[in-house]
Amino acid sequence: MIDIQYWLIFSSLLFAVGAYGVLTRKNAIVVLMSIEVMLNAANINLVAFSSYYSVLHEGTDSSGQAIAIISIAIAAAEVAVGLAIILSVYRRYQTIDVDKLNILRW
Amino acid sequence: MLEYAWLIPVIPFVAFLVISMLPKRTLWWEDGGGYATIGAVGALVLSILVIWDVLNGNTLVGDAIPKFEWIVVGDVSVTFGLWVDELTAVMLLVISVVSTLVVIYSGGYMHEEGGRRRRYYAEIMLFISVMYGLVLASNYLEMFIFWELVGLCSYLLIGFWYEKPTAASAAKRAFIVTRVGDIMFMAGIIILLKYTGTLEFSELFDSAATQAAFAGNENMLTLATALIFGGAIGKSAQFPLHEWLPDAMEGPTTVSALIHAATMVKAGVYLVARTYPLLVLTPDSLLFVGIIGGVTALLAATVALAANDIKRVLAYSTISQLGYMILALGAGGFLLIAAHPSDAGYSAAMFHLMNHGFFKALLFLCAGSVIHAIGTNDMRAMGGLRKKMPITSVTMLIGALAIAGIPPLSGFWSKDEVLAAVYNAGSFDWMFFVLWAMGVATAFMTAFYMFRMWFMTFGGEPRSEVHAHESPKLMSVPLMILAGLAVVSGFALFIGEGFKTFIGRSLGGLVAAEEESLSELAVEIFTDPLTYLTLGLVVVGIFVAYRVYYLPGFDRSVFAKGVPGTFQRALLNRWYISKFYDDFAYKVWYGFSLLADAFDRHVIDGLVNGFAFLGANTGRVIRKAQTGDVRRYTSLVVLGIVLLALFLVYILPWLRAMPPWFPGWF
Repeated sequence: MIDIQYWLIFSSLLFAVGAYGVLTRKNAIVVLMSIEVMLNAANINLVAFSSYYSVLHEGTDSSGQAIAIISIAIAAAEVAVGLAIILSVYRRYQTIDVDKLNILRW
Repeated sequence: MLEYAWLIPVIPFVAFLVISMLPKRTLWWEDGGGYATIGAVGALVLSILVIWDVLNGNTLVGDAIPKFEWIVVGDVSVTFGLWVDELTAVMLLVISVVSTLVVIYSGGYMHEEGGRRRRYYAEIMLFISVMYGLVLASNYLEMFIFWELVGLCSYLLIGFWYEKPTAASAAKRAFIVTRVGDIMFMAGIIILLKYTGTLEFSELFDSAATQAAFAGNENMLTLATALIFGGAIGKSAQFPLHEWLPDAMEGPTTVSALIHAATMVKAGVYLVARTYPLLVLTPDSLLFVGIIGGVTALLAATVALAANDIKRVLAYSTISQLGYMILALGAGGFLLIAAHPSDAGYSAAMFHLMNHGFFKALLFLCAGSVIHAIGTNDMRAMGGLRKKMPITSVTMLIGALAIAGIPPLSGFWSKDEVLAAVYNAGSFDWMFFVLWAMGVATAFMTAFYMFRMWFMTFGGEPRSEVHAHESPKLMSVPLMILAGLAVVSGFALFIGEGFKTFIGRSLGGLVAAEEESLSELAVEIFTDPLTYLTLGLVVVGIFVAYRVYYLPGFDRSVFAKGVPGTFQRALLNRWYISKFYDDFAYKVWYGFSLLADAFDRHVIDGLVNGFAFLGANTGRVIRKAQTGDVRRYTSLVVLGIVLLALFLVYILPWLRAMPPWFPGWF
């Protein structure tokens, strides 16, 4: 049994790596991948707390794991939508550099 | 006949519709004068039948009157009904007789007006109709509606010659000044409605119920009656709202005779008389009524002393006589509250109202006849007309004698009754002794200015080149009829059961049984030394006018010098009251309006524009934050999350640890 704090440290690091990717990368696909990393950090948190709760109350409660599964499924759908958007952006502007896609402003 | 009384206002109204709507070629005589005469005579006949019924003791009063519900809101219902009692009968008599004679007289007087006569007759018929409606109304709101309508007709007819700037502004002035009184009347009605929940005469005049409704709020009842009297101040041209009536003389003389002498201006007196059952519950209001009446009577009489316009002399005389009636009503209320309730003041006021309606209409129509003949209002341009206009001069002399109060003409009887009532009220409030003295002084001045007018107009040598001639039959016959009425209407005091008993019945249970017989009344009038005091002053007044304005050899320029000159200038300027109103309007009120305008433009509009400016500029500045740069947005989101985390971990526990005086919204 691994203690909860190790899981939390791990997920925090994973989240920070994702956030760093989102902030530093210009390529929209890499940004999308970084967002997926951050999402998985959150999913790890969900599963970790679910396990911790079961141990604490000496029973089995799998609702945290169920939510994690739903989250993964939704992330898959979201990736499909995100990639579709990136594709159509590329068709229109011949680029997926997020620094150049700045027409939505004043 | 009483149940057909509703036809009395309807007949002139139909005439109004016919004259104003039918094609011009169908107006067969005098551009509508024919229909107008038919309408007026029809109403006259019906009125006389109704008056006959009332004389026989039939009245339409109380809950059983014919009425229909007009507006029903919750517990309050406003009705339209007919109320016919002795008071209404007196008003009907004056309105019907004078209106018929004036319409006939108009056939001659307005002959030269051409196509505009159609508008004149239409408006006159509308006025007659709504004036009948006013006196037949059975509740205050119905009365108020007709009250406003007579004001409208007054406005229209004063401004008949609207192309003359003075007439147009006089019409506006009459409308606006009487409106001040009308607003007070309306406020009084609203107070009555608030406390009693009804406007019906039949319910309000139940003294016990009204007093119960106002229990604990007696001051509000006093305020209500004083405000209702405010309506009378405006409509009956009482001080301080009297200045519109002399200006109203800009209208045709027939209009002055009908509306501004005999009928509409009596509406205020009628209103006060009608409100008597409420007024006697509030002695403070009654004293106010009496003081306003007395002051008006004296003030207007003084201005009439110096006026040079024949119609303005008559206008101020009208104001003064209306003051008499109001004064008598104020005094009568005290007599009615007294241990042995007497209707003396009330009956005197209504008696004077009736007599005044006849002789003042006569005087105005005579003045109209003179103006018609020589084409000016200025008495300084008249003179020597006695030979040329015998009928007019004799009838006007009768009118002047009647208003001055020479027995046995009508004015003597009613003026004596008025002064006697005021004198008797003096034993309940000393103020009425002062007012009585003012009334006697007014009687003296009335005799003087009336004969000054008569001598200046008809006596001496002609002062202008105009070739005057007697007026046509159409005008002189109504004059003769009115002169006859001015002679005999005073005897109503002694005919049948007597005017006092008759009119006293309209007060219902408020009056004690009258023990005085008619012969005792006559004896009382002729044995009272005060009668002879007034009569003596009247004769002196006439003699002074005769000496100054008829006999040669009196240097009238002494009036224009020194102290009398100051007075003369003040009187010619109407005690500067008119000037005061003008200055008030042009300087004070106009200045206030400029201030309000500036406030509106700069403060109110400035506030609105300032907010718009603020919104637009704020948007212009902060929209720069929307750069469209995705990475900058995400950086800010992350920064926000970090700050939120720091807040939750470090600052929130520190805040929660603060002492209890710290605001506890955490």
